[in-house]
Amino acid sequence: MARSATSPAGGRNLLLGAWERLKSWEGLLLGVLVVIVIINSLQAPAYLSIRNQTNLFQLFIEKIIIALIMTFILINGEIDLSVASVMGLAASTLGRLYELGVPIEAAFLIGLAVGMACGLLNGFMIAYTGLPSLVVTLAGMIGYRGLAYVLLEDRFIGNYPEWFSRLGQQPLIGPFPLALVIFFVLLVGAIIVLQYSAFGRYVYVIGNSREVARYSGVKVRRVKMALFIVSGLVAALAGLLYAARLGSVRGSVAEGFELDIITMVLMGGVNMYGGAGSLYGVLLSILIILNLRNGMSLINLTGHVQTGVIGVLLILSVLAPNLARNIQATLNRRRMRHLAGTLSEAQESP
Amino acid sequence: MHMRHISKSFGATQALDDVSLSIYPGEIHALIGENGAGKSTLIKVMTGIYQPDQGEILLDGRSMQISNSAAAQDHGIAAIYQEPVIFPDLNVAENIFISHRDRGAIVRWGRMYKDAATILAKLGVKLDVRMPARGLTLAAQQAVEIAKAISLKVRVLVMDEPTSSLSAHEVAQLFKLISTLRNQGVAILFIGHRLEEVLEIADRVTILRDGKLISSTLRSQVTTEQVIRDMVGRQIEDFFAKSQAERGDLLMSVRGLSKENVFSDVNFDVYRGEVLGFAGLVGARRTDVGLALFGVEPADAGHITFAGKEVKIHSPEQALELGIAYATEDRHRFGLAILMSVATNITLPTLRRYLTALGLVRQSDEYATAEEYRQRLSIHAPSVKVEVGRLSGGNQQKVMLSKWLNAGPKLLILDEPTRGIDVLTKAEVHRMINALAAQGLGIILISSDLPEVLAMSDRILVMREGRQVGLLDREAATQEKIMAAAMGQNRPAMEAQP
Amino acid sequence: MSALRRYFRPEQVRELVLVFLIIVLALFFGTQIRDYYTGRTFIRISTSIAIIAAVATGETLVVLTRNIDISVASIVGFTGYFVGMQLVRHNDIAPLVAVLMAIGIGAVMGLLNGILVAYGKVSSILVTLGTLAIYRGILVNYSGAKTITANSLPQWVIDLSSMNIVSIGELDFRLLVGLALAVVVFFQLMLTYLPFGRRLYAIGCNPNAARVAGLPSQRIVLVAFVLCGALCGLAGFMYLARFSYLTAVAAQGMEMSVLAAVVVGGVSIFGGSGTVIGALLGATMIGLLEQSLIRWLVISEFWRSALLGLLILLAVEGDAAIMNRLRKLWARSELQMAPKQENK
Repeated sequence: MARSATSPAGGRNLLLGAWERLKSWEGLLLGVLVVIVIINSLQAPAYLSIRNQTNLFQLFIEKIIIALIMTFILINGEIDLSVASVMGLAASTLGRLYELGVPIEAAFLIGLAVGMACGLLNGFMIAYTGLPSLVVTLAGMIGYRGLAYVLLEDRFIGNYPEWFSRLGQQPLIGPFPLALVIFFVLLVGAIIVLQYSAFGRYVYVIGNSREVARYSGVKVRRVKMALFIVSGLVAALAGLLYAARLGSVRGSVAEGFELDIITMVLMGGVNMYGGAGSLYGVLLSILIILNLRNGMSLINLTGHVQTGVIGVLLILSVLAPNLARNIQATLNRRRMRHLAGTLSEAQESP
Repeated sequence: MHMRHISKSFGATQALDDVSLSIYPGEIHALIGENGAGKSTLIKVMTGIYQPDQGEILLDGRSMQISNSAAAQDHGIAAIYQEPVIFPDLNVAENIFISHRDRGAIVRWGRMYKDAATILAKLGVKLDVRMPARGLTLAAQQAVEIAKAISLKVRVLVMDEPTSSLSAHEVAQLFKLISTLRNQGVAILFIGHRLEEVLEIADRVTILRDGKLISSTLRSQVTTEQVIRDMVGRQIEDFFAKSQAERGDLLMSVRGLSKENVFSDVNFDVYRGEVLGFAGLVGARRTDVGLALFGVEPADAGHITFAGKEVKIHSPEQALELGIAYATEDRHRFGLAILMSVATNITLPTLRRYLTALGLVRQSDEYATAEEYRQRLSIHAPSVKVEVGRLSGGNQQKVMLSKWLNAGPKLLILDEPTRGIDVLTKAEVHRMINALAAQGLGIILISSDLPEVLAMSDRILVMREGRQVGLLDREAATQEKIMAAAMGQNRPAMEAQP
Repeated sequence: MSALRRYFRPEQVRELVLVFLIIVLALFFGTQIRDYYTGRTFIRISTSIAIIAAVATGETLVVLTRNIDISVASIVGFTGYFVGMQLVRHNDIAPLVAVLMAIGIGAVMGLLNGILVAYGKVSSILVTLGTLAIYRGILVNYSGAKTITANSLPQWVIDLSSMNIVSIGELDFRLLVGLALAVVVFFQLMLTYLPFGRRLYAIGCNPNAARVAGLPSQRIVLVAFVLCGALCGLAGFMYLARFSYLTAVAAQGMEMSVLAAVVVGGVSIFGGSGTVIGALLGATMIGLLEQSLIRWLVISEFWRSALLGLLILLAVEGDAAIMNRLRKLWARSELQMAPKQENK
């Protein structure tokens, strides 16, 4: 029954039921995914091999981990633009502390704590002071990145202990490295929490209507606060994993990641105005973006151009439901007018 | 302007039934009726927001189609509602002229200020035209809206409850303003609930009841009593007449409850097994009292004693824990999560009961509970997994009531529980209220449906503009008495124990 | 006193406070940095402010309507680079043509933003987040990793950055600065005296009322985005002239400074209030801070972004807390002093 609240475009279209709408959107995503995979396979022979796919996930593991929590936040009707900057700040904290001689384990934990602090600050402003999440996290996006620069200035910090550098990459379970395992664990956990737990239920309802939730005794502010704290924590974790994978950190690390992350979630059918969407769609969307980026690399498109394509995807994913709704509305209006026309004709005849 | 044989229905509800009304220039025409009598529907037909199912509108003798609000404006029909629609960051003069398209390519401030001042002077209002509209009092904002209408050469000005939030002084100002307008030949349709006010200013009085036109006469030819009688004059059908339940212990005691600018000095007791009706007109602030008792908008001052203990209620969670539940009047905005299933809605406030040790929801238990209520309240839905938005109004209401019943409250506050639902469901709801009282719940029934209040309540509290103006026992109460008190006819009417 | 109160609304008071803060900052930095009060410093700071101010003007138009445009940096970068490349390939393009080209291209890019926001009904943060990436991607692709350097540009472009309008003693007022000032003045006048400008405010402060009043909201928002893009184009040209050195990452990150300038300058992020003059003051403060931090030895220049974020937060928080309270105070006092509603 939480499943029924998973329609994109806010379910305002009562002609198609929520479930059918969902099926059509996710069906579309699946179709797109298949097309992309086929095209890629034609370009590169061993495309669908486990190793290749694992590597693919590896490349974007940090983004997709954050996409999980971003799903919650967007369903809740908020947005967190600062995630990439928190990644950078956590990584920079790690680098700076390590530079100062702090043992890497401690630096790691402190990095996580820093991320949580950022989330706490965001959450407090949004939940208790009532500022819109757009503004707060926009300021955070700029400010936390700034702090990252303050810490590292324009230096590179590298030379981490062996075990750290291989943290994300060593095969842990079968061919799957730690980071990927973490992702799957988090994915399963996210699905369970979102679809089957009370907290997830509250996230949906608040996104649906904050007032209804409040009038029903839901602790709205606490839920929002929790979401942003977790977001900060997860972003920090992702940032630290990224640092481990890259082997070196600088202040600008993970700049611009928020675009991919938000696109992953929005394209997955989550409505930014809250209350609808599911992780299954987001998962499909993630797969599309991963394979698309890989495909673009195969044909030698530069990073910036790839990012541009993701930008197009973002716009298309939010444009499409609006257009669909407008078309439906126009069709409805025409139908009503037609009906009214025939009725009045009937009235006029004696 | 003539409205002839206007009928309009929404689904099963007949909002207007063959209403014919004539509005003459230079006249203040008062439109009176209870909540739901059809007044706002009539206005919306006049201003083009709704199209009548039947009937026609004549302007200057010519038949007109008013297809949208812009068309209404072009014909010189303007409406001013309770909440003025202004631009807070623009100044007064700009607010008046903002929708004008013919003032030239360059904004001439000097001329705008002068023109604005002229219009205001013509109305006899003195306001600093350079002041940003944000700082204006409600009364001043209304004046600006009227000035805006004048500037657009309004011929028929509809005013919907303009006085409900004004002080006595401001009302006097407003009336002088309206009189000035009238003397300038504008036709004014005035909807109000304060009877003495309305009768003071009106030239002609029209009364609607249940969508029908009851009477339309010159002011000079009616008396207050006649008006009240016309407003309410219906048989009290045998709604499920409430059987007297055993009145139990004192459940809640409220003394001196106040919220600044909203309501003041509310005093009453509620006993287990009793239904306390809250009667009053729109704007009486009964809902606000309910919200204060439920912690959504806590009161500033006063004492609440619940189940023997003094409490301060500051959040809905806390109220629920105490055992207070509140069923909102606006179920779409506050009552139900439209996109979520029936079962989800029913278990929302009490989700904690359905969790496993790990915090996961036991869906089977949820469904079981929802099924239980589906049977108990005869909710017509394909299943409990269906989106609540798909159900009819009556069934949605039942889902909302199930939600609160499931919370097992000691005190249940029902705000307009039978508004907008069909007759059969209404009866079911009344039966349920009766049963609940018999089980020992205390019930506060906020309702604008007088027969309902009279039939269901053991005692009736009447409110008017945030003040308590009456507390009547069941035997002593009549529709006229309640209406009189609600409209401020100043009968003492404290005929029952608080 | 009441006249004083009438003309010095909280908004004006805020602007005065801002001017005061700028002066204080300038004095402060003067004590900290050697050779601060020289002509060279003035030129550097003022030209930096000029570019930010030009973009901030455009951003103000958009923010007034309760929208936001974070793709401005990409538009600036693209127009600057594109026009630069054209000039490199065809040295004989007339200056006016070059400027108009920049403005035109910027306007088209703004048009896309505007169509998506106003007619596609997509949230402006999402649209411009997307176009930020799209436009930058197009730029990178177009540039093919080539850099535009001074040697390949026509001489007049390079000379442009050192042309003065007027020189007062040591202080040279560069042409670019004058251009920015002219833009600010023009748009301030437009916002005050053109119905279009007033409608921007109306839409921003109460979109619902705007609809009820029959204002063509969609068209107005579209034009706001187009103008913003056009101004970004102009700024792109100014950028080209100032630096005479452009890569594909030109102007990256400028949106942060611009947003900070706009918000600090008193333009409400919720729409409906603020002026272009305020944005100029905000740009002045930001430009001053940015350029001075580079020379100040106590705090490294890397505090720039952190400070910007902090400033934005403070400005928005502060406005929410203080301005509204001040406005109510003002209003109350005005109502007391202005004659009450009376009738003859």
